[in-house]
Amino acid sequence: MARVIISSVGYTRVGDHWDKSILDLAVEAARKALKPYPNIRPEVIIVGNMFSSQSSKQEHLGALLASALNLTGTPAFKVEAACASGGVAFNVAYSKVRSGEVSSALVVGVEKMRDLDVSEASLALSMAESAEYTQFMGASFLSLNGMLARLYMETYNVSRSELSAFPAIAHTNAATAEHAQFRKAISVEDVSRSPLVSDPLRLLDCAPLGDGAAALLLTSEEFNGDDESMVEVLSSKISTDIFSIYERDDMLRFNATKDAASKAFSEAGISVEDVDVLEVHDAFSVSAALSVEAMGFSKEGEGAKDAARGLYALKGRYPALTFGGLKGRGHPVGATGLYQIAELWLQLKGRGNVNQVEGCRIGVAQNIGGVDTTSVVSVLARR
Amino acid sequence: MAISYWRRRDRYYRLLGNRCTQCNSEYYPPAYLCRRCGSESLVDVEMPTTGQILTYTILREVMSGFEGQQPIVIGIVQLDNGVKVLGQIVDTPLDALKIGCRVRLVFRKIRDESNVGQIYYGYKFTALC
Repeated sequence: MARVIISSVGYTRVGDHWDKSILDLAVEAARKALKPYPNIRPEVIIVGNMFSSQSSKQEHLGALLASALNLTGTPAFKVEAACASGGVAFNVAYSKVRSGEVSSALVVGVEKMRDLDVSEASLALSMAESAEYTQFMGASFLSLNGMLARLYMETYNVSRSELSAFPAIAHTNAATAEHAQFRKAISVEDVSRSPLVSDPLRLLDCAPLGDGAAALLLTSEEFNGDDESMVEVLSSKISTDIFSIYERDDMLRFNATKDAASKAFSEAGISVEDVDVLEVHDAFSVSAALSVEAMGFSKEGEGAKDAARGLYALKGRYPALTFGGLKGRGHPVGATGLYQIAELWLQLKGRGNVNQVEGCRIGVAQNIGGVDTTSVVSVLARR
Repeated sequence: MAISYWRRRDRYYRLLGNRCTQCNSEYYPPAYLCRRCGSESLVDVEMPTTGQILTYTILREVMSGFEGQQPIVIGIVQLDNGVKVLGQIVDTPLDALKIGCRVRLVFRKIRDESNVGQIYYGYKFTALC
C-alpha cells in the first residue's frame, strides 16, 4: 500500500461569486493546487459536487473540468453524496493512490449555490433527504435540523446560550481567515437573538449559502521526498445510517459518524486524546454538537455544553472550526469536505497565520451528508 | 412529479405502511427488507391514525413549491404502534404545540402547482391538546 501525501491545496474564497460559473470556480481551485508541481500530470480527476444539475443545469463535471485543464485522456468523474460529496470524493481519490492504482490524483469540490434563490436552494438541499416522504411533505433540510435541535435541547437540558456556542466559535475563527465567507466575529448573544428560521434554530445557528471550490493534489510518497513537513493521510472511512431520522430508533445518535470515526481512528492508530485539531460538520449548531459526541470528544448530551465551556475554541483542548467551519468559512456543499482537508493541511504545515494551532500534529475532518446519513471521517498527520 | 405522486397514492391517502410477516415489525415508509429480522416477506398494512408529537419545528423559510404556506409546522409523530412518521401539524395554535401532545391523522391538500396544475393531497396531523 502506498503512503498518500497531500502535496498541495487550492481554493477560492467562499461567498457570492456572481461573476464566476461553476466551471470558473473549479478551474481556479484546481489550477492553484496544480501550480506548485508543474511536472505532475494527475492520473485521475475526481470532482465532488451535489447539485450542479439544479444550480447550473450542468452535469458531466469530470470531463468538463479535465477538458478545461488541458488534461484530456485523464479519467475524470463526479462523486455525489449530498453534503458529504467533497469528503467522499477525497476518500475515493485517497483510495486510488493508496491502492497503487495511480500515483497522483486531483480532487476538486465545487458548488454554485447563489445562482439559486433561497427557496430553490432549499429544495435542492432537500434532495439529500427522501423525496417521497420528507420533501413531499414540505419538510426542508433546515426543518429536520430544527426538529433535531428541539429534541436535543429537551432531552439533555441544553440552554439557548449553550447551543449558540459553536456558531460563536466558528465566527471568531472566521474573522481572521482570508478565505472565509464571513470575516466577522459574533457573540453568543448575537446567535441567541437572531431571527427564528425553524425554531428553535435561529438564522445564526445555520451555515449560509455560498459559492466556492477547493482542490487537493494527492500523491504517493515518492513524489515528495524533498518536503520537510509532509502531510500524510493516515485513514479515511465512510459509513452510512438508516436514511431518515424518523426511521431510526434513536434520532439523537449520529451512528454513521460514530462508525466512520471508530474505524478511521483505529486504522490510523490514534485515539481521541491524540487529536490536535478538528474540523466538524457544523451545518447547524446542533449537528456540530451531535458530531463531537459521536466521535467521542464529548460525552452524550455534552457537545454544546463543552463548546460553551471552551473545549473547542482555538485555544481549547480540541480546537475546532479553525478557519470558521461551515458556519463562518461557508458551506458550498460539494466543496465543504475539501475545504476541511485543505484547512487541516494549512494547520499541519504551520501555515495557519493567526488561526494557527501551535504544534499540531494530528488533524481530523468529519463531513456528513443528510442528517448524518453518510459520514466521512479522515485522519491527517504531519510527518 | 404527477406520476411519482400517483405511484404512492395509497401511502399518501391512507398511510399504508407494511408489516413483516416473520417478526411483526411495522414500517412507515414501507421497508423493502425488515430492518429487525432481515425478512423479505412484508405485507401492506394501514398505520394507526393517532399518536403523539416527539418533536416539531415551525418552519419560516419554505422550499420552492410551498410558497405562501409559511409558517409550516412540521413534526415527527410516534403512532400508537410505535412507528414514527414525519408530517405537517395543522389546525393547531402555535402556542399550544408541545412535545407529547396527542395528534390524529387528517387528509389535506399538501400543495398545488398553479391554478390549472396538479393538486397534491396527503396526510397531515392535527393536535388534540
